[in-house]
Amino acid sequence: MAIREFPLPRVDRSGVDLGLLQTSCANCGLHQLCLPASIGGDDLPRLDKVVEVKKSLDREQALYAAGEAFRALYVVRSGAFKTSAVDSQGEIQVLGFHLPGEIMGLDAIASGRHQCGAEALMKSSACEVPYDKLEEVAQELPGLQKQLMRVISREVQHDQRHLVMIGRKVALERLAIFLHSLSQRLERISRDPHLFVLPMSRRDLANYLGLVVETVSRLFSRLSEQGVIAVERKTIRILDPAKLRELAGELSL
Amino acid sequence: MPAGPSQTCAVPTPVPIAAVEFDADLLARYDVVGPRYTSYPTAPSFRDDFGEAEYRVAARESNEDPIPRPLSLYVHVPFCESPCFYCGCTRLITREHGNAARYLDHLEREIALQGALFDADRPVVQLHLGGGTPNFLDIDELARLTELLADAFNLELEDDRDYSVELDPRYLVPGFIEGLAELGFNRVSLGVQDLDPDVQQAINRIQPASQTGDAVAAARDAGMRSVNLDLIYGLPKQHPESFARTLESVIALQPERIALYAYAHMPERFKAQRQISADDLPTPAVKLALLGTAIRELTRAGYRYIGMDHFALANDSLARAQDAGTLQRNFQGYSTHGQCDLVGLGMSAISRVDSCYAQNLRDLPGYYQKLTQRELPIARGLKLDAEDELRAELIQSIMCRGRVQFRDFEDRFGIRFDGHFGREMAALAMLAADGLVQLHEYGFSVTPRGRLLLRVVAMAFDASFQRPEALARSFSRVI
Repeated sequence: MAIREFPLPRVDRSGVDLGLLQTSCANCGLHQLCLPASIGGDDLPRLDKVVEVKKSLDREQALYAAGEAFRALYVVRSGAFKTSAVDSQGEIQVLGFHLPGEIMGLDAIASGRHQCGAEALMKSSACEVPYDKLEEVAQELPGLQKQLMRVISREVQHDQRHLVMIGRKVALERLAIFLHSLSQRLERISRDPHLFVLPMSRRDLANYLGLVVETVSRLFSRLSEQGVIAVERKTIRILDPAKLRELAGELSL
Repeated sequence: MPAGPSQTCAVPTPVPIAAVEFDADLLARYDVVGPRYTSYPTAPSFRDDFGEAEYRVAARESNEDPIPRPLSLYVHVPFCESPCFYCGCTRLITREHGNAARYLDHLEREIALQGALFDADRPVVQLHLGGGTPNFLDIDELARLTELLADAFNLELEDDRDYSVELDPRYLVPGFIEGLAELGFNRVSLGVQDLDPDVQQAINRIQPASQTGDAVAAARDAGMRSVNLDLIYGLPKQHPESFARTLESVIALQPERIALYAYAHMPERFKAQRQISADDLPTPAVKLALLGTAIRELTRAGYRYIGMDHFALANDSLARAQDAGTLQRNFQGYSTHGQCDLVGLGMSAISRVDSCYAQNLRDLPGYYQKLTQRELPIARGLKLDAEDELRAELIQSIMCRGRVQFRDFEDRFGIRFDGHFGREMAALAMLAADGLVQLHEYGFSVTPRGRLLLRVVAMAFDASFQRPEALARSFSRVI
């Protein structure tokens, strides 16, 4: 009832989620963003055969761990995930947050091992796409191959954006870029881009933004004092999208 | 849970609060049994299957908000030197001062355990010591207590902090209040109840007016920013003439706040009350007259009725918070710091963290034993679901602002008000017909006549009263 689950749209509140997990790629609301995009309707069932398991995870449950052998790519179906790596000093670095329609595990293709771990931030689900089978089908379906490249490019773009953000000296700009980008990603999956619940803790967010937690909270306060956003608990309402875009600067895309 | 200052989604629209109107007939008609709504759901619905593990999850969740709420600490000091016969609080009567040190030893552990659960950047904007009698502890013990709190939590040093102590003027030693000010306390609340000697004898609380006056003077001298005096109406041997004299003396002391509680005679539940002879109690008509007298005198003297037992001078922060729409209600009554997570420390104390309530064990041996094992002494609690949170916020709005705007709740909780609250709106229509509330296009507001019956209006939205058996539970009378 309340705006609690993230980021299910309002219409999806009636417990349809389990049903969603059973459906095929053709019926999936995310298919325009995901691998099936640009595959013809007749070929879609072939992809369905590739996507073999739809995994359901509880909060903090790992989808895969760093160092694990690479076997499959994962597409977020519902909920949200974070990817992170641990450095030699044991420090955790949060590398990204993943929303429905976004693909995880691409970084493992080169080395055959997962470079980072992925963990559910809330009750979430993901489609598992075994890579060998995907390669097989992709050879026969040029559309799929193209889309795969597009998806990889999108991920690279996303990582670049993160680098740009981390490069910003003004901390407020980093948060603005993050919120603006999150808002755009929600819009892409037809969710309300101006009212959402943050799925990650402020600690994870601070880590991702390269800031200390106190600063992150101060920045949220400042943005709300300026009337750009309103914050209640984890619910964020973007009150002045134009101002947020301006603060984020052009490079945020 | 509640809407609050500028950073929240639903900024309440400031609306001048209606004056209060005393309507004896209406009050008599609605003299029903009901909760005081210092929490919703109310404490009787807390569950035994809520314990330390659930509380730890709630504390962690509360740290994860982008802007974590500030903290409000409550420390319960359960000891009293002598029993006041009207009392329904959780307290232990003892003259053995050694109890204080032993209690502090255990509080020390609880404070350390609790402090570790909350991120260090969350300031403690409100601290309240209640009881029992907090001044059962001497000033050195209170210094130790504040030091322990300062070690474990991020105590606020800014002027807008509210650090308050409940005091029994009968046991104040010279220099005590000054000592409290030096420890950082800036508010005191003094128990008075009634200044009439006959009443005082009947309630076993002999407290000459001079003791109260001296305590208020000491608080002023020490630079305390605010003084609250507690009064009770409906006590044995009370009558309107003598109570008017009590009110006159109390008003002359110009406390910023006055709490006027109704005495609830429930001897089957509170043992001390068995010392009160039912024959000495005022009749319902006299009890109403006592309330009428109090409202007349206090209003005439410039005190504003905030709601549910509480009055404040117009320039006091409670009145200002009410004007600004930021007033909140919690276990300590009304507060200007409602957007906090509330951490209750000590025997029987209640916490409200994230969307959970947790109450500590209500017996001293049990409380001690848990802490000896370095476990949080939580006995029971409740995790609010979305429906509970919706109703809790509605009741907050009724209690603090005296009105409800449908749109606020529809937007935030994704409901259609009339669809979701069909039965409640029917009940509300009956209250409207009786003149307690006024229905508007945008929502409803409590009328001046209805303001003394806030509980009744709130009860219309209390899910537990949708079940008939719940009505039989022993809450105190509304008036």
